[in-house]
Parts: sequence; C-alpha cells; structure tokens
Amino acid sequence: MLRTLIAFVIAVVAGAIVGSVIQTQFNLAALIELSVPISLDTRISTIIHDLLNFSPILAAILAIVLLVALPIAALCSRKLGGPERWWFISAGFFGLLCCFAVVNYLAPMPTLIAATRSWAGLGAMALSGAFAGWIFDRLWHPLPRELVEPLA
Amino acid sequence: MIKSFFLVLVITFANVGICQAADNEAFQVEVVTDGLSFPWSLQELPEQRAGWLVTERGGRLIHVADDGSVNAIPLQLPELFVAGQSGLFDVSLAPNFVQTREFYVSYSCGSISANTTCLARAKLSLNPPYTTSEVQQIFVAQPLRKGAAHYGGRMAWLPDDTLLLTLGDGFDYREQAQNLANHLGKVVRLQRDGSAASDGPFPTKADGFIFSYGHRNSQGIVYDAQRKTIWQHEHGPKGGDEINQLQAGKNYGWPIASYGVDYTGAMVTPYQELPGVAPPLHQWTPSLAPSDMALYAGQLFADWQGDLLVTHLAGKRLQRLRLVDGLWQVMSEHAFVNNSRLRAVAVARDGAIWLATDAENGQLLRLTPKGS
Repeated sequence: MLRTLIAFVIAVVAGAIVGSVIQTQFNLAALIELSVPISLDTRISTIIHDLLNFSPILAAILAIVLLVALPIAALCSRKLGGPERWWFISAGFFGLLCCFAVVNYLAPMPTLIAATRSWAGLGAMALSGAFAGWIFDRLWHPLPRELVEPLA
Repeated sequence: MIKSFFLVLVITFANVGICQAADNEAFQVEVVTDGLSFPWSLQELPEQRAGWLVTERGGRLIHVADDGSVNAIPLQLPELFVAGQSGLFDVSLAPNFVQTREFYVSYSCGSISANTTCLARAKLSLNPPYTTSEVQQIFVAQPLRKGAAHYGGRMAWLPDDTLLLTLGDGFDYREQAQNLANHLGKVVRLQRDGSAASDGPFPTKADGFIFSYGHRNSQGIVYDAQRKTIWQHEHGPKGGDEINQLQAGKNYGWPIASYGVDYTGAMVTPYQELPGVAPPLHQWTPSLAPSDMALYAGQLFADWQGDLLVTHLAGKRLQRLRLVDGLWQVMSEHAFVNNSRLRAVAVARDGAIWLATDAENGQLLRLTPKGS
C-alpha cells in the first residue's frame, strides 16, 4: 500500500512538472509568434514561475484523473490482458484528455488552460498524463530488467 | 447553473486577500427599483423627468420612469444570442436623439459556435409607453467565434459624432488582440450609420474600423470633454485590470504585456510593459473586475468634478478615482446592498449617481449626498 501511495505521489508530481514545462513552451511560442522577444533567461524564469504557480493546479487535476484512471487501467490489464505499462500510459493520456474536456465544460471560461486551445497543445499536455501513468507503473510494478542494479 | 457555480468558485479564490470595500457613509442610498434581471447599462433620457433606459443582459430593454415604475420596451434585435456573458449590453442615445429619436444598442449575435459583438440602431417613440422602430443591425465585429465570453460592448460618443465601441478578445483568441486584420480585442470607431470613421488610424486593416488594439475585455469607456481625452478600462485576467488613456492607433498590450497572470496561475506574458505598448494609468492587482465607468460632473458632489466612478463585479464596490500627476488614484470606495456585484454606473443630470447591481434580482440605486 505504501509503495502504491509513494508511486502515486511521485507520478502526480512528475506529471505536473512535465506538464507545467510543456504549457510554458506553448504560451511562450504564442508570444514569439507575435514578435515578442523571449531570451533564455526569460524562458527559464517563466518556467520557474509556472512551476511555482501553475503546477499545483495541474497536480490537483492529475491526482483526480489518476485516482480514477489508474484503477481502471489495472482492471483492464487484469481482465483484458496486454502489457500493463501501456494500459497505465493510456489511462494517464486519455484520462487527462477527458478531464480537460470536462473542466472546460464546467468552468466559466471556454478553455481553462490556454496551452490546450490547440490540438497540438492539448495532445502535448495529455502526454504529461501519459508520463505520469508510465512513472506510476514503473515504480509500482517495475519490469525485471528495471530492477537490475547497474554495473559499477 | 454549473458554470455559474464554478464562476463563483473562481472569483472567490481569485480574490482572496482583497480588502473589503469601505462603507457608504458618503451617500444617501435610494433603491429606485428592483426585480431587474442582470441589468447591464443605464441611459438617462434627455427630457425632464422622462426616466431611464436600462438594458438587461437577457435581452430586455426597459424604461424606468421617474417614479421608479418599470415597463418593457419591445425590441427585436437581429440574431440576439444570450448565453454565459453574452446578451444585450449597452444602450446609448445618438448625439441628436432629441431630433431623431435614434439610439444604439450593443449585443452579442449569432450562436454558441459562431457569434460576435454586434451593434444595432433603432428609433424610440416620442412618448411612453415607449416602442421601438426601424431596428437595424449596422455593425458586426469580425470574425465570428466560439464560446460566450469577452465581448466588450461599451460605447462612447466623440465630439465629431463618431462612436467608439469596445470589443473583447473572445477569451480563447487572446493573441488576436494584436492582429490588426480582425476586430477581436479592439476598440472600433464608427460613423452613425455603422460604417468606419473616415480618418481611422488603420484605414487598410479590418475595413478601417480599428481605433486602438491590444485590449482584453473592455467594459468601461468615457469621453472626457474637459480634458479632451478618452478614458477606458478593461478586465485583466487574474490581476492586471487597467485604466488607459485611449489614443488612436495605440497598442494597449494584451496579451504581450500585462500585470496579470492566467486564472491557473500560469504566466500569460513575462512582460508588464514593453516598448510600443501604452502603459496603464492605473492597474488593479488583484483584479476587481471593472464593469462600467462614468465621469463625474454635477452639483451634488461638488468636490468630485472630473473624477472617475468605476463599478466592480468581483470587487463589489464603487470606486472614485482622481487624476493625480498623470495617474488615476483611488480616492474612496463604497459598497452597497450587502456587498452586491455592481454592473453599471451613470451620472444623472441632477448630479445623482445611479448604479445597477449585477444579480438575478438586480436593483437600481440612486446615490445622493447624505442629508441632501
């Protein structure tokens, strides 16, 4: 149980960090298209700002998504077979996609997370869910080769 | 309904830390009428004791008579679209209304998948109970967009009888506020027939309508005849509401320069100011959601000449600002009716201040000095 919990927390945190960095790139790309200068320093400071201010919201969304999606993935893996890892990766990806759609339906604004306004951004952000699913399964049920100690 | 619940949640969390508005000891507050459904704008009729025209976002134009009685004025707006923030917005009388009986209304038109801000012109009958005639849609902001957010919709007349109309960025289309090929996030200037003013700053762009650009969602604009200038305010995202001095052809920065961040906490832009972007003369962070603006000129509040009166939705208060060394400073603020959201403000000819609360059971309030 503790292992599951730790795997879940690490997956949520890792997914939120990756998702936050991805969304920052989409927002900055939109500004660059408007000829706004974005230096490396500015890019880094924006990433840090968003990690501190945006990633907690994404982490909350991811936690809810994974709480629902991961048990479904585990069940599907058991009942339907196939590689468990891919079930979890898919659960994170499609779970987050569905969640964005639900949030945008419920929230007063048309699109809560600006980076998901485009199909590319939506897909890229959903990849952070896939990454979280992968991390979870990697920690929860590591493959035998992933447990091998690296040679010194 | 569910969206409204989320809106309350968002606003609640977005405004944690805002101090509560101050008291209204300065005013004697008279509830002129209530039972209005989300009133949006106030326009006093020019004849003595003729009362006011009031719009409701749901699409109703009403006449509030001098005695406070309310009568609906039949008005069939072409393609009126009501949902979310969309519906009937501002009402404004033509400069020669007394002769022509012409008035203008801004509203959203279209459908949930393709809508925009529109402008219609109509005529009001001479005597109550009022009726309308010759209703004609004279301007449709381009392009049509999805969703039901950020329409702008406020109007102000300039001394040359051209009309300024504020237009929102449509929320999901914020980058378009910098694109001079369309009307999203712009203030446009029109002649009385709805055509573009002939001397606009961008005659070859977007059919020549654009007066200024880089706006997010502007719901307050006034012409200041004393100072011969235009004041405008607009909603920022989370923080960064602004008051600007509007000038033809200028860029007001959204979304490349802003004092606000996105509702999610993400940065919209790393820049608060940029070269080529007109900086605000006042900015509110955290946001108060400014909803309307009037310039005070009247006898009842003799010390307030030339001050701006700004109503706030999330901020639930009326603020009075004064121009000090080229910047607008808050001089006082006042809350009303159990901290209601305030949607509209106007100054009556007698100097009284009129407010509309933003509620299903909206009220019209008349403010006069205490003891007057």
